[in-house]
Amino acid sequence: MKSIRTYLLVALLAIITLVTFVSLLHGYQSSISKAQQLFDQRLRNMAEIIAIANQDIQPRVDGTFNQSPTVFFQIWSSDLILLAHSNNAPETLSTDVNSQTNYDDINFNGYRWRTFSLKDDHLNRWIITGERADIRYNLAENVVMASIIPIVLAIPVAGLIIWVAIGLGLKPLTELTAQLNNKQADDLSPVMMQNTPEELTQLVATTNALLERLNAAFMREQQFSADAAHELRTPISALKVQLHNLKSAQQIDEKELQPLADGIERMGKVIEQILSLYRHSPDQAMLKQTEVDLCAIVQQVIARGYEQIAVKQQQISLTGVQHCRIKGNQFALETLLQNLITNANKFAPEGGEIQIDISQTNSMARLTIEDSGAGIPENQYERVFERFYRVNGDQHDSGTIGCGLGLAIVKHIVAFHGAHITLNRSTQLGGLKIVIDFPRRIEG
Amino acid sequence: MLLNSVIIILREVLEAALIISVLSALSQKLHVSRKWLIIALLSGLIGAITYAINIKVVSMALDGVGQEVINASLHLLIYSFIVLLILSLKDQSNHRLMVFAMVSSVAIAVVREGSEIIVYIDGFISSPELLLPIIIGSAVGAGLGISIGVLFYYLIVNISLNRAVKVGLIILILIAGGMVSQAMQLLIQADFIISQQPLWDSSSLINERSLLGQLLYALIGYESTPAPIQFFCYAISLIITIILTTLTIRSYQQRPEL
Repeated sequence: MKSIRTYLLVALLAIITLVTFVSLLHGYQSSISKAQQLFDQRLRNMAEIIAIANQDIQPRVDGTFNQSPTVFFQIWSSDLILLAHSNNAPETLSTDVNSQTNYDDINFNGYRWRTFSLKDDHLNRWIITGERADIRYNLAENVVMASIIPIVLAIPVAGLIIWVAIGLGLKPLTELTAQLNNKQADDLSPVMMQNTPEELTQLVATTNALLERLNAAFMREQQFSADAAHELRTPISALKVQLHNLKSAQQIDEKELQPLADGIERMGKVIEQILSLYRHSPDQAMLKQTEVDLCAIVQQVIARGYEQIAVKQQQISLTGVQHCRIKGNQFALETLLQNLITNANKFAPEGGEIQIDISQTNSMARLTIEDSGAGIPENQYERVFERFYRVNGDQHDSGTIGCGLGLAIVKHIVAFHGAHITLNRSTQLGGLKIVIDFPRRIEG
Repeated sequence: MLLNSVIIILREVLEAALIISVLSALSQKLHVSRKWLIIALLSGLIGAITYAINIKVVSMALDGVGQEVINASLHLLIYSFIVLLILSLKDQSNHRLMVFAMVSSVAIAVVREGSEIIVYIDGFISSPELLLPIIIGSAVGAGLGISIGVLFYYLIVNISLNRAVKVGLIILILIAGGMVSQAMQLLIQADFIISQQPLWDSSSLINERSLLGQLLYALIGYESTPAPIQFFCYAISLIITIILTTLTIRSYQQRPEL
């Protein structure tokens, strides 16, 4: 979308320029014609003054009057004998004295002249005055120009003022944008604006209603998670105790109880995973991000799960950098690594190998986890991130209970950190290779 | 002097501004990057300056009618590129051809109109007493021309794609017709075509020197006293572009809104 400010400025300026300049041209034309009328009047006055001041009725012997080069006069007797004239006037009759109009335009001496002929009835003679048309025009134009220049110069000034005015007019919009931008991810409080303009009232009201609904939904979800965690864990713990008691009673064959034990174990895991999935969904913005050391987290998670790895006599290695600081949520990252390492442990065979590597550049940190398991068929790379999707319908021989949520949770956590995950086949170990790139926002 | 310079500059600026505004609005509607406009304007400007510097040599050529002949050819070139553009719009897959036609028509229009402006103002540099009215007049003329261009641009940008293509093409057809008519007039001036009695005289109805007359001149090639050959070529060029445009518009109506 283009800038509203630029659009308004350019469109308004174009309209103002168009209207102003068109009226300016009209003004120019009528001013010039008014000035011409004024000059015509002056020409007439000049002829009248000459008629009164000069009494010649015989041709002058000593010739001519000195005159400014831009005006001339002639005095003709009624039988068209030149009685007197200015030194710059033509010696011939310059205009048709018998025509209907007194004013005329003639060409003489390389210029165009405006003339006026006056019949002096008293002394029965003609008085003709003339003035250079170009001089008159320039004079008139200079006068009009003085009023035109400020108007032309005012256009850029108007542009500047309009720019500032539109900026002020759009201020509530910028303020609203800033408020929404500056909101913390977990801040769902309504937008507060002083003097909301009419045009934004609806927008602000809708936004606030939306925020309110969102807040209510978050609260419900949090409540649900807490309730579910408590209400579901308790009966499962009770079931486990009951099972243990049953086993100790020794009246029932332990083998027959095994499916029941597996069922309870699986149900417990599913519940933990589902709760974890909700806690880590990317829009679940309640998680705070701090600066954490990715290497330290990996070490902790390996240490915690080492028992499982040792049971399968697998080799696990951590290579790469010693410290790698990224911005993230400690608990979420632990969950992520736990899920990935558990998966690797699950799918790698007995005596298999798990390699973890951490590398970093200025802008990102890369976590690579490879295992020597069977890997995942390439066409299932996308699907494994779906909820409750299990590779080959969980028909793998890992013998471990899974619910198909592990990688869905991983995907959530990856998205929450703005990271990027790719699946590949490990060239070294032949199993699955998972690469996660975390952005590193180094401040200061 | 002021009024003269307003009319001369307005005529040149308006013609270029209309072509530029229609084409840049169309390229925005068709989601074509407008980098081409910068290239076209720059090359047009360089061309205009080169042409203006060599104007004496050009006008002496061909027994003193070189300028008329070259200007007529430029007009005919603009017409051809507008036709090419209409053709390329019909088959929009040919993106390169479309951009090429846009760059060429704008660049040539800038060369033609720009050189005229430079030559006109340059003629008054040596007479400082006339310079102020010339400059103010030019500013007014340019302001009017650019404003009309800007308003046409926003008109086209703010309507739906189908309508924008329709309105844009109609304006282009008319401008293209005007180009042919002007070329014919220049060729008559150069005595390449025999001058004949004008078909009519509508100067009392719409004076060519009025603002409306100038707008119509730039937009539809309005001429108050057209020669028969001028009118004939204008009509032929309009028919050609109208047929092409109808085909193009039809191909857009079959297309969903972008």
